[in-house]
Amino acid sequence: MSHSHQRRLPVWALRTNGGAVLLFLYAPIILLVILSFSASRIPGQWGGFTTEWYATLFDDSRLQRTISVSVRVALVSTLIATVLGTMAALALERFTFRGRRVFDALLYLPIIIPDVTMAVMMLMFFSQSFNVVDAVFGLGISKGFGTIVVSHVAFNIAFVSVVVRARIAGMNATLEQAASDLYASRWQAFRYVTLPLIAPGVFGGALLALTLSLDDVVVTQFVAGPGSTTLPVYVFSLIRKGVTPTINSVSVIMLVASLILVAGSVALQRANASRGRQQLQTSGGTS
Amino acid sequence: MNEITESQNQRSAAVSLRGISKFFDDVTAVDSVDLDIGDSEFFALLGPSGCGKTTTLRMIAGLEIPSAGSLQIFGEEVGSLPPNKRPVNTVFQNYALFPHMSVADNVAFGLKMRKIPKSEISTRVHEAISLVRMTGMEDRRPNQLSGGQQQRVALARALVNRPKVLLLDEPLAALDLKLRQEMQFELKQLQREVGITFVFVTHDQEEALALSDRIGVMNDGRLLQVGTPEEMYDAPIDRFVADFIGRSNFLNGTLESAEVVCLANGQRIRVPEVDAVSIGDEVQVSLRPERVMIGDLDSAPHDSAQLSGTVDTETFLGNSVVYRVALDWMTIEVEADHRPDVERYHAGDRVDLWWRDDAVAVVRP
Amino acid sequence: MKLGAAELKREREERRRGFFLALPSFAYMLLFFALPLVIVLIYSFATRTSTGSTALSDWNLDAYRKLGEPIVRNVVVRSVVLAVITTVICLVVAYPFAWFCAHQRPTVRNVLLIAVMIPFWTNFLVRNYAWRILLSKGGPISTFTEAIGLGEVDILFTKTAVVIGLVYAYLPFMILPLYASIDRLDRRLIEAGRDLYGSGPQTFRRIILPLTMPGVIAGSILVFVPSMGAYVTPELLGGGKETMLGSYIVTQFLTARNWPVGASLSFVLMTVMLISTVIYFRSGGRNL
Repeated sequence: MSHSHQRRLPVWALRTNGGAVLLFLYAPIILLVILSFSASRIPGQWGGFTTEWYATLFDDSRLQRTISVSVRVALVSTLIATVLGTMAALALERFTFRGRRVFDALLYLPIIIPDVTMAVMMLMFFSQSFNVVDAVFGLGISKGFGTIVVSHVAFNIAFVSVVVRARIAGMNATLEQAASDLYASRWQAFRYVTLPLIAPGVFGGALLALTLSLDDVVVTQFVAGPGSTTLPVYVFSLIRKGVTPTINSVSVIMLVASLILVAGSVALQRANASRGRQQLQTSGGTS
Repeated sequence: MNEITESQNQRSAAVSLRGISKFFDDVTAVDSVDLDIGDSEFFALLGPSGCGKTTTLRMIAGLEIPSAGSLQIFGEEVGSLPPNKRPVNTVFQNYALFPHMSVADNVAFGLKMRKIPKSEISTRVHEAISLVRMTGMEDRRPNQLSGGQQQRVALARALVNRPKVLLLDEPLAALDLKLRQEMQFELKQLQREVGITFVFVTHDQEEALALSDRIGVMNDGRLLQVGTPEEMYDAPIDRFVADFIGRSNFLNGTLESAEVVCLANGQRIRVPEVDAVSIGDEVQVSLRPERVMIGDLDSAPHDSAQLSGTVDTETFLGNSVVYRVALDWMTIEVEADHRPDVERYHAGDRVDLWWRDDAVAVVRP
Repeated sequence: MKLGAAELKREREERRRGFFLALPSFAYMLLFFALPLVIVLIYSFATRTSTGSTALSDWNLDAYRKLGEPIVRNVVVRSVVLAVITTVICLVVAYPFAWFCAHQRPTVRNVLLIAVMIPFWTNFLVRNYAWRILLSKGGPISTFTEAIGLGEVDILFTKTAVVIGLVYAYLPFMILPLYASIDRLDRRLIEAGRDLYGSGPQTFRRIILPLTMPGVIAGSILVFVPSMGAYVTPELLGGGKETMLGSYIVTQFLTARNWPVGASLSFVLMTVMLISTVIYFRSGGRNL
């Protein structure tokens, strides 16, 4: 075995490449965190330690407003997308109905469609439908919180349903039959058997939706109104005007927020994986 | 014999199927099955995979609705009821224990769904768990149990509801050989103890023979024959049944009268009286290898059927020897005991074969 | 018969249940996704008036004809070239890395894979911004190269910077499918290949590469497709000079106010993605 290794790519080359990849992936993030504590007014240079830039964040009311919009948009859109996406996943995995195939295909589209196309679609849709609503009902609606939420839900339903469907597909359908054999009504079977078993998938889907919603720049930029902008869109516009040390500290805060979400999902995956492994072991032992 | 069956029918059968069929799109999964399963009977539905036995069981459970026919449980028409409205419970093939619940919660599930008072639930759960000898394991999760233990929990989970009929779908298939034999014994004892009707589905003929009071053999959606294990082995009426339960030789012939078959070589043999086929029909005579005697014509009854041929191959099996004997019109398999007092033959030996008239059964080809 | 009717009734009930379960999300997707998509398609055939507004009349293919004009063509060509370069770099870097992962102990392997996934989950904008800082004049990379005597590195707002940003953003998309296909390789086949061909490179070309091809195709599509449509990365690291398709489309809406052209380009971009996705599934991508 060891001598056959020598004729492949040498191990040291593989190791070096591995180290380089990890360095490439993490160095930018780590340097950004370090530089956010730099006293220098030029964001890329070290000028001694300071927490000044974090302090300025607390005085920036504009920033605080966008954070609050971001969080509210993310929570509301995640909640709606999780409920709708889970229902869609159940319908697609456990039922046949009219239009099932069309729905299935339709739910794949938001995943593969480019951000920019999605953004264009939503912009045109809202401007068009606002015209219609204005003409018919005389209501002047404008873009803002509502349009952002509607757009985020539109792409997040698909992501939630993909994650939940994977979980349902991995669940033995006989369990639901066993529940109904044990006098459970359809609702009780769902409430006491299906739901607890797919809960990790639903939770994972919700975390993904939350991440995507908090991440989105392009779609939100198109559908946000003048008074309601999310944090990423605001930061994006700031960066384009010119980088400042404050952006460093905002970025680090966004980074920490997303890392908390990752940690949550990794912990969740590990819990699932170990449970799955145990199940495999017991069933493997008996067959 | 007849009196017993009649009296069983008068007490209304536990499960009664009349002309039950199930179609999935163009496929006929179950084809017009008539079947009565008696009260507190241990009944096996036996057949190869895809024969319709599991679909039949699922129709009794309510997991499938029959396409046609009538299905009664203790005289009550239940064919169109959903599973949660039927007085039956099921032990599923891979047990289908709820992985997120403890053993006790699994067992209590059916009672909770029926809103039984809490105090009664705990006594009944306790009883059921001790019935299957799982006391002390109440707080375990299914994934912490061995296959045999999971099986027991599945049994307790079903029996705790005091169903009128217990359905078991391949209950032992997931266990290894040794455990399977142990559980066979336990199942049989459990059935005697609780005294309710057990209907189980299996593809394993030995399991069916060992466990059940009666067996129904299915193939291609049709129920071919129902009878006690002995009847099924000794007097099969269908070639498929004779072939599926045990091994057999099949000799082609024509039924000449109620008790005489003319074999393909022109020889006439006496057979037990049959009524499943009519006189003049092409039939096959099923001849179990161990019921064919080889050599020793002196001990043969006066006018027993006899054939002679040449040993083609011999296979030593320990307690017996299997000879393939070539006749000029077919080959017959013969299983002889391996004992010092039984003569041993070898390939090329000329041998005489004979059998008692009641050793054969006439079957539909 | 009576039971036949019951069977039909239960089947119908099941279908109805499924339909009503799907209805809220189905209706939502039709109204807020399918309809917008149709509107984009309709707009791509509309006319832009001299004031910059869009007239929904005089349907024509002008917007699609514009794709042939040099300005748009340059943008498309640049996008394709940058996306291809990004894909190739990712492939070359990711293949040995995935190979390395697949040949580690399970614990090490899991740690490495999670390490690859974490940056992917962190905020996309922040990851791009980090490179903007790293590559800036007098920034960490420049400081480092000057310190070791290589002189100043000034690549921000160039194609190189855009490619670095894209590789950084999409490298995990390449590593994961490659890892999946390498991990599934039957080691005995490699041994057999060694027996047949002897040399390592030969075995790689004739046995390993063909067997891991589904991973290569899947990873390449997963990197190529979003690179083509990238908007944030070229904006931040290309400084608006190295316009790619995504930025160009945004410009058509937010500044140039030429909605038909923006719509037609969006549609073309989406079609490219759809075709790639079909190829992805054909290559066994669903299993990865």
